Amino acid sequence: MTPAADAGKGTHYVPLALITLSIGVLLMVPLFVESTYLLHMMILIFINVIIGSAWNILGGYTGQYSVGHAAYFGVGAYTTMILLQYRQIAPWYGIWAGAVVALMTALIIGSICFRLRGSYFVLASIAVAEIFRVSALNLKAITNGAEGILITEIPPLTIGGTLITDWESKIPFYYTGLIFALVSITVSWLVLRSKLGYCFQAIREDQDAAHSLGINPTLYKNAALAISAIFTALAGGLYGAYVGFIDPSTVLGLEKSIQIVVVCIIGGVGTIFGPVLGAALLVPLSEALRSNVITDLLIKAGLVRAESPVGVFLKENLAHAHVLIYGILVVIVILFMPEGVLGFFRKMATRRGSRGSGVGGRRKGKDLAVTSDSEPSTHDPKPATLDSHPATPNSDPRPPTPDSRG
Amino acid sequence: MAIFEQALVSGILIGGVYALIGIGLTIIFGVMRVINFAHGDLLMVGMYLTYYIFTILHIDPFLSIAITIPLMFLFGAFLQKFFINRVLNALPQNQILLTIGLGLIMSNTVMLAFTSDYKILTTKYSSSSVTILGISISSPLVISFAITVAISLALTWFLRETNTGQAIRATAQDREAATLMGINVKRMSIIAFGLGSALAGTAGALIAPTYYIFPQVGSIFTLKAFVITVLGGLGSVSGAMIGGVLIGVAESVGGAYLGSGWKEVITFVLFLLVLLLKPSGLRGKSQT
Amino acid sequence: MAILEINHVSRYFGGLAANWDVSFEVPEGTIVGLIGPNGAGKTTLFNCITGYYRPSKGEIVFQGRRMNGLKPDKVCKLGMARTWQKVRPLTNLSVLDNAVVGALCRTNSVREAREIAHEQLRVVHLDGRAGLRAGALPIGERKRLELARVLATKPRLLLIDEAMGGLNAAESEEIIRLILEIKDQGLTQIVIEHDMKAIMRLSDRIVVLNSGEKLAEGTPQEIVANPQVIEAYLGVEQ
Repeated sequence: MTPAADAGKGTHYVPLALITLSIGVLLMVPLFVESTYLLHMMILIFINVIIGSAWNILGGYTGQYSVGHAAYFGVGAYTTMILLQYRQIAPWYGIWAGAVVALMTALIIGSICFRLRGSYFVLASIAVAEIFRVSALNLKAITNGAEGILITEIPPLTIGGTLITDWESKIPFYYTGLIFALVSITVSWLVLRSKLGYCFQAIREDQDAAHSLGINPTLYKNAALAISAIFTALAGGLYGAYVGFIDPSTVLGLEKSIQIVVVCIIGGVGTIFGPVLGAALLVPLSEALRSNVITDLLIKAGLVRAESPVGVFLKENLAHAHVLIYGILVVIVILFMPEGVLGFFRKMATRRGSRGSGVGGRRKGKDLAVTSDSEPSTHDPKPATLDSHPATPNSDPRPPTPDSRG
Repeated sequence: MAIFEQALVSGILIGGVYALIGIGLTIIFGVMRVINFAHGDLLMVGMYLTYYIFTILHIDPFLSIAITIPLMFLFGAFLQKFFINRVLNALPQNQILLTIGLGLIMSNTVMLAFTSDYKILTTKYSSSSVTILGISISSPLVISFAITVAISLALTWFLRETNTGQAIRATAQDREAATLMGINVKRMSIIAFGLGSALAGTAGALIAPTYYIFPQVGSIFTLKAFVITVLGGLGSVSGAMIGGVLIGVAESVGGAYLGSGWKEVITFVLFLLVLLLKPSGLRGKSQT
Repeated sequence: MAILEINHVSRYFGGLAANWDVSFEVPEGTIVGLIGPNGAGKTTLFNCITGYYRPSKGEIVFQGRRMNGLKPDKVCKLGMARTWQKVRPLTNLSVLDNAVVGALCRTNSVREAREIAHEQLRVVHLDGRAGLRAGALPIGERKRLELARVLATKPRLLLIDEAMGGLNAAESEEIIRLILEIKDQGLTQIVIEHDMKAIMRLSDRIVVLNSGEKLAEGTPQEIVANPQVIEAYLGVEQ
C-alpha cells in the first residue's frame, strides 16, 4: 500500500464524525428554531444543494459544462405542477413523473449536444434550454404561458390512514428538502468512487485518450447527463411544490441555468462538498440582498444614513441586485478562484504544508476528485489537444492528435 | 404573396444589422478564440448610449454613431485588457462563464442605474416608411442598412489594406506565427475586442429607433449573434455577413407565417441544425 | 500466426492519400518496427488500426476479425491498445487513478482495478509515485505512466507511437527495457520510432513507410542494407 492511500484511511474518521454531527444538527433544527425565515432559507439551500450536486456530475466530473440545465429544472417543475393543479395528482408522485420526463428529454438532448465539445456544447445547451422556455411561453394550453401555474393546495399526505402532514407549515418541506439533499450528496459520493466516476473523469481530462482505453464517451456522457437531469428535475418539482408558483422565466430561464452553474463553481467544481458550500454561500447572500437585510445592516451600523441619497438608492435597488451579485461572483471566481472556494482553501493549505517539496501536490483522502496543483502554472489544466479550442466543433472525424501525419 | 415579399425585404434589411453583430463576434473569436457571451450586452450598452445622447444632447441616433463607435471601442479595449486577457489560456468553459458574468454585470448595472422600464427612442422618422416597388419598408431600417453596408465596406478595406488590419487577420490565422512575425498579439486582442464591441454598440445604435430599449435586451441578441457566426463560419467576416442576412430573412419570413411568439425558436432550431450538420458553417472549412 | 493483418489499406483525406495500399502482417509475439520520414503516414496508419479513422480502402484484421469501422473503445476491449505520440496523461487524476482507468476496461470492480493498476505501476517502476497528480510528472515518467495505463487494459497487441520522443539516453534505455520486458510476457507490439538504434535493437521485423506507401519490409539487417530505404531516409545509421 502506498503512503498516499494509507494517509487517506486515517482522514476518513474525521469527516465521518463531522458529517454525522451535521446531519444530527440539521435534523433537529426545526424542533428548536422558531423563525420561519431561517427554515425558508434552509429549504432553498437544500434545493440548491441538489441542483448543484446534480450539475456537478455532468459538469464537474465529466467536464461537460451545460449552461442550459434550467431545461431539466423546468421540466421537473412543470410536470409536477401541471399534474398537481390540473390532474390533482399529488406531488410525491408528480416529481417522479417529472424525473422520468426529464430523463427522456435529457437523452434526446444528449444525442444532439454530445456530438459537440467545449464551447460549442455550452452554446448548444443554452439554445436547447431557450427552446424549452419559448415553447413553455407559447404552449399556453399546457403550461398557461407567461401567466405561469399557481397551485391552490397540496393534498394532505396520509400513510395507512394516519395524517403525516397537511403541508401548511414549512417543516415538512424542510425535511423533504433535507432528505433529497442528503440523497443527492450520497449519490454524488457513490458515483465518484465507482467505475462511473473514473470513466466520467477520464472523459473530462482527455476524451480521446479515454476512448482509446475502452471508454465509450457517448454512453458515459449520457449516463452522467441522465443522473444529472433526474436530480435537477426532482429539485424543480420540489421547488414548484414549495414556492407554489412557477413561470417560464423563473424555472426555464437562462438566469436559472447560470444560478445552477454558479452554485457549483463557487463552492468548487468536481468536489462532493463544493456544491454544498456554494449553496450555503449563495442562498443567504441572495436572500439577504432580496430582503434588504444588508441595507438595514449598513444603516444600523451607521455607515449609511437612511435618508441620504446612497441610503435611499440602496434601499430601493439592492433588493434587485442579486443577479448583479451573481455576475460579480462569477467574474471573481473565474479570475481568482477557478477551483472555487474549496479549491482556494485547499490550495492555501497545500502551499503551507508542502513548502519546498517542489514536485506535485498530494491527494488528500479518497473523497476528492480534483487534486490541488502546487505547480506555478495556470489553475486550469492547459488544453493540450484539439478538444478544447476546436475551430470546428465536431468530435468524431477529426484526428485526435494534431500531428497525425507522422 | 405580398406578405412574403414584405417579410423578405424587412428580413434582408434587419439582416444587415444582424450581420454587424455577427461580424463583431466573429472577429473576437477569430483573433482570441474566445466566445464572447456578453456581446448582446455590448449592443445594449450601445443602445442606451444612443438613447441618452439623443435625449440629453438631441443628436440624431444615426449621427451619434460617430460618438458611439469610439466610446464602445474604448470600452471593449478596457474589458479585454483587464478581464478577458486573463483567461485567454483557460478552459473555454471558464472563458464563457467569465463573459457571461461580465454580461450580467453590464445588464444589471444598467438596470440599477436606469430601471427596467422600457424606453423608446422616437425620432421624426421612426414610424415613417418608403414604398419601393410596391413594398412598404420602414425608413429607419433602410438608413440602418445603408450605414451597415458602409461600415462593412470600411471594415473590409481596413482588414485588407491596412497594416493593422492585416496583422489582425494574421493573428486570427495563427497566433504563434504572428508573434514570430513581430506582431504584438496582445495589442491585436485588445483591438479585436474593441472592434467587436464597437460593432455591437453600433448595431445597438442602429436599432435603437425601432426596438424597445431595456436592460435585458442583450441576451436575445447574444444568442442570435452566435447563430449568425456559427452559420457563417466562426472567424469568417464574409460568413457573418451572409449569416446575418440569412437569419434576418428566416426570422422575418418565419415570424410572418408562424407568429412572433415562435420566432425565437426558429433561430435556435437553425442553430442546432447548423451545429449538427455543418458545424464549420458556410465559409468555414469542411471536415474531410 | 499473424495476430494483425493490414490488407491493402488506404486512407484518403480529400485528394491526399495519407496511406496508400499498405499491406503487411504482424506475427504474434514479435515486435514490428514501423519507420519512415515525417509525413510518411505512420500515425495515420495507427489511427486506422485503432478505429479513429475508417480505412478508405482495404481491411484491418485482428485475430481473424475484421476491424474496419469499429470504434476505439471497442478496439481496446478486443485487445488492441495504443500509446500517443504526444503523451496524454489524465492530468488531474493521480498516477494510480490513471492506471485504474485503464484497468477498468477489463473489470467493473474498482478494487480489482486498483490491484491491477498497482501491478502495472510496479512494472514501469512508478509505484512509488502512485499518489502524485499525473500532471506533476516529468515527461519521462509520463511516458512510463502511459505504458502502465495501457498495459492495465490487458492488451494482446500494443501499438507504441514514438515512446522515446523527447527523452534523454537514460530514459530511452528505460523504455527499451520495458518494451523488451513486455515482449517477454508474450505481448505483440508495433513500435513507431525515429530513434534508429532503438528500432534496430527492438524489432524482429521492420516496415518502412514513405509518402503513404510501404517502401520496404524485412529484418533489421535487410532494411538497413536496402538502397531504397537509404535513399528515402538519407542518413540511416547502422
